[in-house]
Amino acid sequence: MRLIALALRRCLWMPPTLLGLTLIVFSVSHIIPADPARVLAGENAPIEQVEALRHRYGLDLPLPQQFLRYVSDVVHGSLGTSLYTQRPVIDDLLERLPATFELALYAIFLAILLGLPLGVVSALKRNSWLDHAVRLVTITGLAMAAFWLAILLQLLFSMEWNLTPVQGRIDGWGPDPITGFYTVDTLIRGDFPMFFSALRYLFLPMITLAIPATATIARFTRAGVLNVMNSNFVFYQAAMGLPRRVVIWKYILRSALIGTLTQIGLVFGNLLAGAVVVETVFSWPGLGTFAYNSILQSDYNAIMGFTLFTGSVFIGVNLLVDIAQAVLDPRGR
Amino acid sequence: MKTLRRLARDRALLAGVVIISLLVLAAIFATPLATFPSHVSSFDPSHRLAPPGGSFWLGTDRMGADIYSRLLFGARLTILISISATAIAVAIGVPLGLLAGYYDRWFSDALMRVSDVFLAVPQIVLAIAIAQTLGPAIQNVILALSATYWPFWARIVYAETRSLRNEVFIEAAVAMGASPLRVMVMHVLPSNASSIIVRTTIGMGGTILAAASLGFLGLGAPPPTPEWGRMIAESREFLPQAWWYATAPGIAILLVVMGFNLLGDGLRDAIDPRIRRGAGRG
Amino acid sequence: MPQDTTPAIARRTLLAGSALLGMASPFHVARAAGRTRYITANNNPYDILDPHQVFDIGRIAIRLNMYDALVRWVDNPAKLDMWLAEKVDISADGLVYTFTLHPNVKFHDGSALTATDVVWSMERILAIKKGAYGLFSDVVKPGSTKALDATHVQFTLTKPFAVFMAVLSELWVVNSKVVKANEKNGDWGAEWLTRNEAGSGGYRLKRFDPAIGFQAERFPGHFKPFGPGAIDDADFRVSMETATRVLGMIKGEFQTTDGYMPAEQVERMKASGNVWFKEAESIRTFYFIMNHSKTPMNDVNLRRALCCMFDYDGFNNNILGGTVVRNPGIIPNPMWGAPKDLKGYSYDIDKAKWYLSQVKEKLRPLQIGAMAGYPQSEQGAQMLQAGAAKAGLEIKVVAEPYTTIAPKLDDPDRAHDLVPLWRSAYFADPHNWTGYLFNSKNFKAGNASFYKNARVDELTEQALVVTDQEKRRPLYEEVSRILVDEAAGLFVNNTKFYGPYAKSVKSVRFCPIGDTQDIRWIEMNA
Repeated sequence: MRLIALALRRCLWMPPTLLGLTLIVFSVSHIIPADPARVLAGENAPIEQVEALRHRYGLDLPLPQQFLRYVSDVVHGSLGTSLYTQRPVIDDLLERLPATFELALYAIFLAILLGLPLGVVSALKRNSWLDHAVRLVTITGLAMAAFWLAILLQLLFSMEWNLTPVQGRIDGWGPDPITGFYTVDTLIRGDFPMFFSALRYLFLPMITLAIPATATIARFTRAGVLNVMNSNFVFYQAAMGLPRRVVIWKYILRSALIGTLTQIGLVFGNLLAGAVVVETVFSWPGLGTFAYNSILQSDYNAIMGFTLFTGSVFIGVNLLVDIAQAVLDPRGR
Repeated sequence: MKTLRRLARDRALLAGVVIISLLVLAAIFATPLATFPSHVSSFDPSHRLAPPGGSFWLGTDRMGADIYSRLLFGARLTILISISATAIAVAIGVPLGLLAGYYDRWFSDALMRVSDVFLAVPQIVLAIAIAQTLGPAIQNVILALSATYWPFWARIVYAETRSLRNEVFIEAAVAMGASPLRVMVMHVLPSNASSIIVRTTIGMGGTILAAASLGFLGLGAPPPTPEWGRMIAESREFLPQAWWYATAPGIAILLVVMGFNLLGDGLRDAIDPRIRRGAGRG
Repeated sequence: MPQDTTPAIARRTLLAGSALLGMASPFHVARAAGRTRYITANNNPYDILDPHQVFDIGRIAIRLNMYDALVRWVDNPAKLDMWLAEKVDISADGLVYTFTLHPNVKFHDGSALTATDVVWSMERILAIKKGAYGLFSDVVKPGSTKALDATHVQFTLTKPFAVFMAVLSELWVVNSKVVKANEKNGDWGAEWLTRNEAGSGGYRLKRFDPAIGFQAERFPGHFKPFGPGAIDDADFRVSMETATRVLGMIKGEFQTTDGYMPAEQVERMKASGNVWFKEAESIRTFYFIMNHSKTPMNDVNLRRALCCMFDYDGFNNNILGGTVVRNPGIIPNPMWGAPKDLKGYSYDIDKAKWYLSQVKEKLRPLQIGAMAGYPQSEQGAQMLQAGAAKAGLEIKVVAEPYTTIAPKLDDPDRAHDLVPLWRSAYFADPHNWTGYLFNSKNFKAGNASFYKNARVDELTEQALVVTDQEKRRPLYEEVSRILVDEAAGLFVNNTKFYGPYAKSVKSVRFCPIGDTQDIRWIEMNA
């Protein structure tokens, strides 16, 4: 019952939060001195042409009116039309979504695969050389600028060793979408050369995103395990004569895992944030490059669409994490 | 005294202090330390893209300016951006958090909802949008970062103030007739100080990374400002031949952010008694 | 091929027509035996296919290859060939142009291209007011273009316009029946044409993905015969990173990429032995717009001083490694109308100081608005800034994206004092560099300098009324000299084209409008 109430309350808060977000981004993007109509019209365009475009897209209306118009559109399920691509923003976003999700999922998967054991081992072997090594690696991973890491990897893997492509998502043209995930679609079609091509392109951006995520997860896992190990509860268990192995596996890891799970939301947010920069460096055709290009082109509708979209996903993921945590953690219930 | 000795024993913390001190020294003595101090705004086209060597220790850039000298001057900029951005964020976030936490009124909820809105998207996305709007300049980078980062401080202070409100010493102060302002500033704030300091130290590292990202995306300080992120962006056209171009500024960013993170971690370990107890047993 | 029916997926399949039916994946296309394949890596996104919505050089391959116009630019120096039109009759007053169309032109759907399509395309440009609208809006009014019969089309201009033939190269003819069928709320098919193609050009669209680029195959039904070795399949891919394009060239993944790379990268490709280069002097001048509307920029001596503060040699030969040539005036050297003996300014700090001492207006720190993301624009700004510092003049540089700079160019109060940028060839006529940029009638519509000179106005207008090139030449030469004497802008260089090609490419045909992106002329080994 508490769970449902929690979920309900959080869901109820979502629309006002998103409305607030729209207001902020709207204010930010519309105070811009840039003039998308001017850019659309192109070089040498006479002023009347610019005026006509401004009128067509409602850019000549007073700002509050433009805002109301936008909100009403959103309520009716439309994120407006991109000034630049001329298409409904929602279509553009959906088209870019699989690329970003595919990348983010691989990165998160890799980060959990590496970060969890590293964190556990580091905590269990506290103050050993292994622990110090892991801590050094995580501290470095968190301090590295994603774009620099990306360039470094390109420099080594692509340009020096010629192992991976510099940027892009696949050789030539992707498979016609079924799921939109290239690694899945190529397998479904049994096209193995293209599957490996997709993997090769995925490699560098995945690593770039996964390194800071791994560091975050390892750090929190380590702290979580240490916390549990030092808790009276574990002392009690040990005092009861339970073998250390049982204590570690049954009690410590379980609690640590729950602790790490709560961080997935945070990590996911970092991934989305990282995607804007990392996708730009790797020309990965996802939401990140879309957002960056829209911002550069002052494509209002696209910027707001992206922010709303990301905001919803972000809030949604955090909600799921909270629910999962409440389900898994007996104390929270 | 005991705390100081404990701080000195923590090697991570020490490393952080050393790195930050080096950064500050580099910034202060940029002019005497630089081999080509004029290259902060000038250059020498005939030595364009020279690899690291005798006269250009870390090589030259696309205009023929000495990268080592520019890195030193970049340290000033880095300090300026991170200190002012975090300072503004703290100046907004802390009072708001205090007020909202101390009084349980409508604006407490409102503040938390507003910070929800700011935290509903990754910070860098908002910062990019704001920075693009305001145009590429240092003060706009600072503004964009502080406008997006203040909720972190508001939330921490709010939560701590909330839990402090019913503590005996606060109630005692109120009972003795202290004004709310006095209670907040003299009693609540000092109890919050440790978490604010820790958060701020780590936040400095975060703002440096974010500012570098903005610079990299072309939304930071304009040329010829020796901004580290911008230097990395410029290098891309000349890879892989000019490998030194991106290497030096990248390492500089890495070290400085690491320094602040180590410092923050160390401070937290030193200040937070719960973790200290844990460390004693480990 | 499985066709999903849900709208979201269907939208994402991005297939143009039915050309791809029966092909399992593009990978198999690549392996199709006996067909030549030419892959271009472009540093500009191909995000909009509509030939009437965009008017830029970055996306010109779309227009050149999938569409036809009445006339077409070829070779260097560029000359205008009759294309869809076989013949033109121009009335004595220069107002009425009657074109006879080639009789057997087919659109990609097999239907005939007639005068109606030409008329509808012109009306479409005038209605949607995007892209090349500005080229025509002054002289062609909506409804004034007539289809006399299937093969005769008549334009009636509001006033004589000597460059009308030249700008007609941007009147790309779309299939009016097909586009009309895809109109939505009177949008002239704008949404549909951004992702689809309805042309008659030498190549027809096979696939399109704005994030990747487009793929086209040779259209055997084209009315002009192809040469031997003409390309069968062409891929135009977006690849923003210079290093990717260079690496792709060296590895043979691409057959060509842009011809304006940094000197180091050209050397690297040459050293690989896998790439050959086509060199040509293009017609793309790099210059600083000067905002004459503000003090002290309205003082001729300040502008002359600025022209002496720029290290032309250091910029052109060191920074750009000699990939450009000094161009003393605004009209590119190889273009007719550029005086051969024009003497521009040279880098001379003492002279700059002297000019500065002659400035009557009060000096203040100047501001350069460099185009963010265009290294040469930023580097040029830094070059001028450093030179000015030596002469004792303070200049601030701000780097802004073109989207922010462009609207300011229309507003004398907000415009930067100086903006370093290129003037590319949209059509090969001196008017492109003079009348558009410096006639005071074009304030807020090309004349971003807010420069006004009665003699320049008179000359550029006169040159639009006369049609004989030999009579127009001296007019433009005089304009060029005035612009230099008055330092109307800071003219830096003209770009050289270094087009990289894979060894499998036998020959290319360079034209400054679109470089070698008009791929129908390219010959390739099987």
